[in-house]
Formats: sequence, C-alpha cells, structure tokens
Amino acid sequence: MRRSTNTVVTHKVVTHKVVTHKVLALGFIAVSSLTQLAGNQLMAQEEPFQTVITPAFSPVTWERLVNASDEPDNWLMYSGTLDSQRYSKLNQVNKDNVSELELQWAYQIPVIDRAETVPVVVDGIMFITEAPSNVVAVDARTGGIYWRYDHVLPDDLRICCGRNNRGVAILGETLFMSTLDAHLVALDARTGNLLWNKEVADYKQGYSKTEAPLIVKDLVVTGIAGGEFGIRGFIDAYDPATGDLVWRTYTIPGPGEPGNETWSGDSWKTGGAATWITGSYDPELNLVYWGTGNPGPDWNGDVRLGDNLYSDSVMALDGDTGKLAWHFQFTPHDVHDYDAIQIPILADITYEGSERKVMMWANRNGFYYTLDRETGKFLVGKPYATQTWAEGLDVNGRPIRVPGMEPTYEGILVSPPIVGGTNWYSPGYSQDTGYFYVTAFDGEQEFFKRDEEFEVGARYTGGGGRYTQPMDAFHSSIRAIDPVTADIVWEFPIQPRSSAGITTTAGGLVFTGSADGFFFALDASTGEELWHKSLGARVHAAPMTYAVDGKQYVTIAAGNVVYTFALRE
Amino acid sequence: MGLNSTTRWKWLLASATLAVVLSGSFSEIPFGFISGTLIGTLIGTPANAEDGGNLYNTELDVTQGRSYFERQCSRCHGFDATGNDETGAPDLTGRLNRASTDVGIFDILRNGIAGTAMLPVSATLPDTQIWQLVAYINSLSADPANIQLPGNAVAGMELFTGKGDCDSCHMISGKGGRLGSDLSFVGDRRDPEELVSDLITPTKDVEPRWWRLRITGRDGTVREGFRMNESSFSVRIMDTDENLWSYAANQIETYARVTDSTMPSFAQTLTDSEVDDLVAYLFSLRKEI
Repeated sequence: MRRSTNTVVTHKVVTHKVVTHKVLALGFIAVSSLTQLAGNQLMAQEEPFQTVITPAFSPVTWERLVNASDEPDNWLMYSGTLDSQRYSKLNQVNKDNVSELELQWAYQIPVIDRAETVPVVVDGIMFITEAPSNVVAVDARTGGIYWRYDHVLPDDLRICCGRNNRGVAILGETLFMSTLDAHLVALDARTGNLLWNKEVADYKQGYSKTEAPLIVKDLVVTGIAGGEFGIRGFIDAYDPATGDLVWRTYTIPGPGEPGNETWSGDSWKTGGAATWITGSYDPELNLVYWGTGNPGPDWNGDVRLGDNLYSDSVMALDGDTGKLAWHFQFTPHDVHDYDAIQIPILADITYEGSERKVMMWANRNGFYYTLDRETGKFLVGKPYATQTWAEGLDVNGRPIRVPGMEPTYEGILVSPPIVGGTNWYSPGYSQDTGYFYVTAFDGEQEFFKRDEEFEVGARYTGGGGRYTQPMDAFHSSIRAIDPVTADIVWEFPIQPRSSAGITTTAGGLVFTGSADGFFFALDASTGEELWHKSLGARVHAAPMTYAVDGKQYVTIAAGNVVYTFALRE
Repeated sequence: MGLNSTTRWKWLLASATLAVVLSGSFSEIPFGFISGTLIGTLIGTPANAEDGGNLYNTELDVTQGRSYFERQCSRCHGFDATGNDETGAPDLTGRLNRASTDVGIFDILRNGIAGTAMLPVSATLPDTQIWQLVAYINSLSADPANIQLPGNAVAGMELFTGKGDCDSCHMISGKGGRLGSDLSFVGDRRDPEELVSDLITPTKDVEPRWWRLRITGRDGTVREGFRMNESSFSVRIMDTDENLWSYAANQIETYARVTDSTMPSFAQTLTDSEVDDLVAYLFSLRKEI
C-alpha cells in the first residue's frame, strides 16, 4: 500500500484521523478507532488495511481535464473527456487478447440498490458513488477501501425513479457530488471530509439530483432532476471553493423572455424540463451542451399547449455566463416522455467535404441526429430504433408527426415506449472507426392520459404507459451509426434489452452490457462479439477503463457490485 | 385536504359504527379504527394502523385510490400495477409478498420499506387517502373468501389426474410432469375467469417461460423445446423427453420462437360443468397464510 507519512503531516485532515493514521503507520492495528460511523466500522473489521486517507496524487487541474484524452491512464470525469466520446486511447486490451480478460477484484456496495455509477480514477485511486448518495475511495488495483462518505438524507424524499447516483466530478483535490435531497456536496478527495454542502433546490418540491457534475474551467456545472413533479428545470454553475451559485439558466424561459410564449397560460411554471444527465463542453467554443427532459405533465399536453421550449432540447450555454447561445428542440410539445437527457457526443468529422464540429445524438424519441455544434444547425437525422409517432424529420430536423398518436384516456399503442429508443445510457464514439454507438430498444407501449391538478411536491405526470406484451417479446441492440449518413452500420442483438452505457477503446473495442447480466466486448468495426462474462445481475451503468503501473483495467458496475477486469498475467 | 362529500359520508358512518360499539364494551373498539379513521379524517394526523379493517372500500374509494395510484405509484409499479422490469417494482395484482392484510398494506404505504426504493407516501397525506389506496390495491386481486364458484373442487381433483390428464404435464405438490407449469399454488396467481380462459384458449398470452425455440445447429440438426433460458449469449431448451440442450450463440445457425401453447384446448374434451369443477379445484390451490 502506498502511504506517505510526509503526506499525513502536511495534508489538512481532522485531528483524530491524523492520529489514527500515525498509529497505523507505526504498525498498530487500531481498528475500533478508525471510523466514526457504524457502517465504516463493519468495513474496518473486514478490511484490516483500511486507511482514512488516499495516497497523494497530482491535483486535477483544469488543464488536465481539457487534455484528459492524453492521459488515458486516468478516467477523470463521468464521460471520460469533455467531449463525452468515452473513447480511451488505451490499447493493451485489444481485439486480439480481450478474450483473456479476467476478474481482478469486486467491490460490493453495502446499500442494496441498482448501481448506476461510473467511477472516476486519478493516479490509481478510484472514486465510486453508491446509492443513495454515498462515495467510497478505493485502490484502483485492488478495490481496497481508503475512505467512505455517507450522506445523511431526509426520510421524505421525492424521487421519481430509484435511489441512484451516477458519479463524481473532480477538480484539484476536491470531489463534487449530487445528492438525492437536491444538494451539491464538495469533499476532500484525500479523506472524504465534507468541505461544503449546498442546497441546490428544495427536495420537498420534488427536486432531486442524481447526475455527475461537469467541471467547466473554474466552475462546477450541474443539473437537476424532478421532471415528474412539475418543477422548473435549470442548469447551475457553482464556485468550487465556496459552493456559491455563479449562474443559473432556467430551461424554461420566464415571462418576457423569448420562448415563454411556447407555454400556454402559467404552464411554464410547472413545465419540468429537468437536466438530470451530465452534459459536455467544447473549450474552443466555450459552450456547455446540456440535454433537457420532458415537459410536465409528461403525458397530458392539453394543459401546456405550444412547443414547450426548451424541454426535450439540447441547450448550448456560454461557459462563463450560462447565457443561451443556441438550442435545438428534438421533440416539440412532447406527450410521450421522450426526454432529451442523452449525453452530447462532440467530435470533428468530415461532412460533405468539409471539417465540421458536430454533435451526435441518439434521442429517446427514436431518432438519431447529427448537429453542427457551433450553430445548432441540423445536418442529418434518421430513426435508429422502432418508432411510430413521426413520419420523419423535416429539413430543419423537426419531426413530422403522425396524427393521432397522442395519449388518450383509453390508451394508444406507440413506439418507442416510455423507456425510449434509448434513454440516459451513455453512448460512445470511436476515433478509429468514426462510428457512434448506442444502446437501442425496439418496443411499444400503450400510452394513457389523465387529468391532474398540480400540487407542490406531488407527482405531476398526467398519465402513464402499459406494455401489452411481455418484455421478452422485444429486442434491444447495440447499434453502430455512421454520423455522416445517420445510417446503421451494424447491430448486435441483446435479449431482451439493455440499459448499459458504452465505452470504446483504441484497442478496437466496444465495451457494454445487458439487462440479463452480461458484460461484453464487441469489435468496434464489425460488431462481432469477442468476449462476454455473466456478472449475475443487470448492467445498468457505463463501463470505463484506466491503467495503473502500466496495466490496463476495465471496470463495470452490475447489480450492486463494481467489477474490475484486466488481462491474465 | 378538506372534508369532501366522500370523507364526510365516511365520518358519519364511522360515528354510527362507533355509537354501536360504544353501546357494548369500550374495550371492543379497535385502536386503529379510532386513530386511523376518526383522527385521521378529522385532523389528518399521520398514524400507524394497528388494527381494524378498511372502511374506505366503496367503488368510489377504489376509483379515488386508483387515481392516486396512477399518479404517484405507476411510475415504478406500472400503470396497471403489474410491476416494472425497469424499476424492479413488484406486481401488485396477485398475492403480495410484503403484506397479507389491509393494515400491512397501509403500513407499507405510510412508512415505506426501509432500504428499498419503496418510499413512504407524503407525510401530509391523510390516512383516508391511504385507505382508498389500500382499497384499490385490494381490488386488483379477488379475495378468495368472497368468491363462490359453481364447480365442485373434489370432482375437479379427479378430473386433473383422470379424464383431463393434466398431470401428464403439470405438477401439483410434487406429483405430475415437468412439461407444464407447476400448479401447486396456481390459485394465488390466476383468478377463476383466467383459469377458464387458460383451459379453453390456452394459446392466448403464453408466458415467455413456456414459449418454445426451434433451433438449427451448425451441424444442421434441428431441435425444438421449451425455452428454459434465452440470454444474449446462449439458449437452453428442454425437449418433450425432458432432455436439456444448451447452445452457445456461436453454435446456432438459425433459431425461431414458437409462442403458442403446447397445451390442448379443453373446449371440446370437457363439458362446461367439468371445466367448472376443474377451475374450482385449481382455484383452491393456494398457499395458506
């Protein structure tokens, strides 16, 4: 275990922890004094080498984050890099040897839920978030625990869809995490000590937070969940040192602002448009790109006539001020819960003979889009999953609706189902193949409409959906899409579905998983299966890869466990 | 929430009932009746239900409970309460695993289930509305005690092993075949109407577990059997001789799903009264509480 007495002395930690650490360094086993929390105590008894401080690491500067793809040994943010390609330059594990991957270690999350976390790795230290809103720091080579932070939550949370947390952001030596009670916390990455705890919004009004924040220069940019509770969505930027709010951009314009007229009456006040998945950032254009969720109430559009800007959109915001530069709305006046909370993938590609800065987006509504990310102009788009609600996209990328597909009181069958052609599952992009990869679902569902009065803090969805066939009747696929043509290049079928994200590597690989518990690697060029392993529980997170001491690891959360693989030695 | 017409009516009923009870022995008043109904109605104080049945079970209560359910619960449990694979929330239309009484359901709604995604209802929600929700959840599954069936269960039991020959495929309490579902507790998951439909039109809505797969291997051999497992990377079937065959995806040339049922329809082979008898027997097959 790497440990430096020097570090202990110089690093700012609370007194009793320093003492404990010195005791350990002297060789005594002082298990009972290691921890303050009961949960920790259990861990400590099981893991005699547990410490309360990580080894020293080089602070994660903004410059490192901008150039994260050049240090592939580390996975410095939720989507790997600011462009969210989830493409790693590591190639020790590659098409020729991926079949030799074997388990190195497993970390069991103590709170039983369904892990959606993507760990961050810095210089051999891994930070894993857990349900409901906890963090643990482990040795990325062994899974051995350094410290854990348990966030205390109130009993009366309003959360829509499970007690999840998807990951941390890191800047300098500080971690930032969203919590289910709609707070943003800052932790000392060396010790897990709480630095500040900021209320972003009132959880009693239905706000919550699950997404990993995004560092943009000297700001912590973060979204909000609660689209099923009649909230008004926003994207915030906080001062990393103090937790002070620097800017807030609402995803629904207020009175007098352009776009407010796309909401009938006062419906803008309760229009949702949550921002519950991490966005991306282009340092050259200084634009933050963030997806927005469904308008509320989800399935009854009668009370919010109009296009409902900027729900179901991507918003491009100035990185310093949060000012809206442009927007693109995928699903105007959505009545099917087709959130645009996918992660924007940014890449520079040759399109119709010229280099274009583009954004790739496979939307929950069943369509894939390539946009110009300087202007928001629509370039090309086609369905990538079964859809029956639109005849196609017009020249501006606006859907041409099939009449009569709105939810009814009796129910009407529409594809995609509520869960979408895809959902929040991270897509991937390979710099080698130039393909975009997405987890796609071909399903259908009966959509219902209900009349509901808005009540603060109560669900405000106006209906719901029901499957008319067993889930096993449907199919999912990993689909590779050419962003120039929006055509599907290959697909790999999954039974019956997947909610896993995707990571690509310079080893020619696509890593992803399935709901029937498999973690697997495909050939990024052809979709051919190269390796699979049953992990015994649903993969509901995205993989990530990193290296320590010259050895490449691949990590995935499945069920309640974080598994790490590497090549057989 | 104010006293709307429904709750006021309930309160009148409660007063009347209370008066009757008071005329007897005071100790007979169920505690939960007072705390859950009277106090809950009047001042909306959250309280644990400890005893007493649900007084809020009229059709109107069920409708209101359903309305609340669709709004607050359907995201996880499904719009028809049959559960949701995406959220892992259980089916509420059959026997409940966590509660066997109205009070048990009430307590779960009021308190949630610690350590799971099942959160309590809003602390300010009046008990009356929780009882309406209980009424709705109860309405999703018939109480067997209230069901009178025309058939004779004893005669049905004889048909099961006799003329119906059901036991050549189905097992009950360890006796019978493996080529159909185990029916030991079929009364817990199928109501009498569904059982009639199962016997008359068995091919309607076959559970994926009883689909069959027809597989052509790389060597050209064709095999068909029950779909024991179909994952992203392998399948396993059981043929009619109860042999299991496993295939890795790369050993399969082609395969097809057969989603009708291997079970024959009994529309012609049994009389209506024999079907009634068989249904009466099958519906009696339930776990004892």
